Amino acid sequence: MTSPSSTLGKLITGRGSRQGLWLLPFIIAIAMALWLAITTSQFGQWSNLTNLVAQGMPLLITAVGQMFVVLVGGLDLSIGSVVSFTTAILALDLPGYLTIPGVFLFAGLIGATNGYCITRLNVHPIVATLSMQYVVLGITRVLRPVSGGTVPDSVRWLVEGSIFGLPLPLFWGVVTLLVAWKLLYGSRYGLHLFAIGGGVASGSNDAARNFGIPANRNILLAYVICSLFAALAGLFLAGRIVSGDPNVGLLMELDAITAVAIGGTQLSGGVGSLHGTVIGVAVLALLSNGMNLLNVTPFVQTAIKGVLLMAVVALQSRKKIGL
Amino acid sequence: MSHPIEMAGISKAFGGSAALRDVSLALAPGTVHALMGENGAGKSTLMKILAGVHQPDSGEIRRAGRTVSFANPRAALEAGISTVFQELSLLPNMTIAENMFLGREPLGRLGGIDRRRMREETKGALARLGLALDPDTLVSELSIAERQFVEIAHGIDADADIFILDEPTAALNAADVDVLNRHIRTLREAGKAIVYISHRMDEIFAICDVVTVLKDGQLVGTRPLSEMTPASLIAMMVGRELEDLFPERGEGKGAAALAVSDLRLQADAKPFSFMVKKGEIVGFAGLEGQGQQKALRALVGQFAPVEGTVSRRGNTIRLPVPKESGVRRWQALGGAFVPEDRKDEGLFLDHSVGQNIVAALHGGRPALKAAKRYSSVIAETMRRLNVKASGPSDTVGALSGGNQQKVLLGRYLATDADLLLIEEPTRGVDVGAKAEIYRILRDFAKAGGAVLVLSRETVELIGLCDRLYVIHGNTIVSEMRAAEATEHGILDAALSA
Repeated sequence: MTSPSSTLGKLITGRGSRQGLWLLPFIIAIAMALWLAITTSQFGQWSNLTNLVAQGMPLLITAVGQMFVVLVGGLDLSIGSVVSFTTAILALDLPGYLTIPGVFLFAGLIGATNGYCITRLNVHPIVATLSMQYVVLGITRVLRPVSGGTVPDSVRWLVEGSIFGLPLPLFWGVVTLLVAWKLLYGSRYGLHLFAIGGGVASGSNDAARNFGIPANRNILLAYVICSLFAALAGLFLAGRIVSGDPNVGLLMELDAITAVAIGGTQLSGGVGSLHGTVIGVAVLALLSNGMNLLNVTPFVQTAIKGVLLMAVVALQSRKKIGL
Repeated sequence: MSHPIEMAGISKAFGGSAALRDVSLALAPGTVHALMGENGAGKSTLMKILAGVHQPDSGEIRRAGRTVSFANPRAALEAGISTVFQELSLLPNMTIAENMFLGREPLGRLGGIDRRRMREETKGALARLGLALDPDTLVSELSIAERQFVEIAHGIDADADIFILDEPTAALNAADVDVLNRHIRTLREAGKAIVYISHRMDEIFAICDVVTVLKDGQLVGTRPLSEMTPASLIAMMVGRELEDLFPERGEGKGAAALAVSDLRLQADAKPFSFMVKKGEIVGFAGLEGQGQQKALRALVGQFAPVEGTVSRRGNTIRLPVPKESGVRRWQALGGAFVPEDRKDEGLFLDHSVGQNIVAALHGGRPALKAAKRYSSVIAETMRRLNVKASGPSDTVGALSGGNQQKVLLGRYLATDADLLLIEEPTRGVDVGAKAEIYRILRDFAKAGGAVLVLSRETVELIGLCDRLYVIHGNTIVSEMRAAEATEHGILDAALSA
């Protein structure tokens, strides 16, 4: 119905779409990849590319989870602790058939508690999940004050192995995205998350409820999903570091939020896209990989990450939806 | 005969205050039923009960003779009751089709959403209203009128036979009102029962068949509109006649409070001059959107005209003035500006009555000085303007429209302003509060103040003002004494210019 030029206009301004502003970060990601491919010889090598995927995977998984709560206008600051906690449990010297389901059970409980505090006790998401971050971090440090222990071999294989010559991390990514895609776009649940977020962003928390959508239950479930993805990321990291580490998840929640924001998802809720989040993750992963290849210290990386976040978000003229 | 819907003996209280006491209402198929009453009379509460937003404390709702209760709006819609609320309930980030099917999406293969079916059914429902909108358009892209039409289509699609329209025309322009009225007539001809809430008399008489009047949460009566006149309807609502609404006129006393010369709003518009004397209420009349608001806002920098000169208290100001500092400079010269949209442009809705009243006083003081409490000012203002609230700490957003408007006025009357620019002084305000606001403005003028007002209600301008300027095509085309003005005369002056 719309002419190509206005379609491009809509992509740039994000008007007429609730996918968020993902075009600019997409161009940035492509430009970064091209530039690294041209200026460095290592970037295009198979070993670097598999490394890039493996390094970026925990961020991808946590960011995808984070997106669910951001879509309803929330935030989850506890996922970094959940990641650390997961590695600590997996390194407990118990059989894998106990610990692997166990971490998801705990994560589900953590997410449900977050969701309960936010929806029923009306605690602000930042406060609720920040409290949870401390609680889980404390428990993790009791379990494992310093890094150590070993994780079951099965976990290790899931990360380091390969099938048909393809490294397994690739499959983790595919499964994560398929599950998230099905939840967000292939189910009523996902549509309802957008609806709830749209109501919150336009200043009416009851808007979705008036359509008969059980908003509190759906929001609670979003926090459970976010936490479960965090546990999945923890499982992946445990396989990579082959031990439990109380600090491995430190600040991962902020990276996840950064990736989601760069990918065009609006923190006020209701607007965003899965591919945008993938793009956001790609930008951060390429940044870190590229800096490593160019021998820039990690401290500078952090500063650049901050500049990039501010620049990408500020450059995009975002309007509050509905106005 | 059993009515499609009947509400019997409905009572509802919020906290301690009763919003509805023993109200009954029966709707008949194929009629448009007006629901009238001052703000806070309980109209919206009654309709929200019917729509499932609130549950009644006592009384019952009978649907075709059977007692029903609605836990939420969705349940009401499923029972065939569709509502277009004042505050629109569509979600801006969802498409038309998604909004139409939200909460009852058809499922396709593998548990996914059957978007094709949603799109096609939506297209059909829109087509039945004669709308050619793309079902995949986000609601945020639609105009207010289009959103209301989509809500009506939503009701039609859900097979509703009761339609509640709560002040549907408050935000519509004249052309959209015509389209809406056409839709309402179509619904009536299809045998639907329609409830129509509005403050605009002309609309009520143009479209409605029956009227029910509420006052202070109680039923005053239900009458066929053919037996009513606007005057008798108002008398029913407030217990007094229309003429009593307006206070006696005053006289301008010589000295000019404001003189504007050679104001040119747009490059192609004729420059014009006007003045407001002390003790005088002057109105900008004419057809809607002909430049009345631009002329007024140019004075406070909220519109940038091409050129113009303002004299005020011996100062001369060249227009345009900057947008950022315009209002502050205006206030420094003893002026006040009361914007049209009190919710978005005027009040701090989440703050208390007291804070809203003293906002302008604080605004006139240096930022780093300790804030005064002004509690006596607040108490005096609330008393003088008869603001109905339990105290200064009440949240403004929770007050009725009329009381909100009084708080906004009080903010400027609490300063030493002697010149008031006011847009739509009684928009969305009930008749009783209208009369009070007119009296407040007249008292202000009698005390030596000057008022410049614009309103889209011509009757209000004629009744309230001393002198009118008719504006058309971004320039003044006529000036007349309000006492001699008629609606016809103003229209004539505007159109024959």
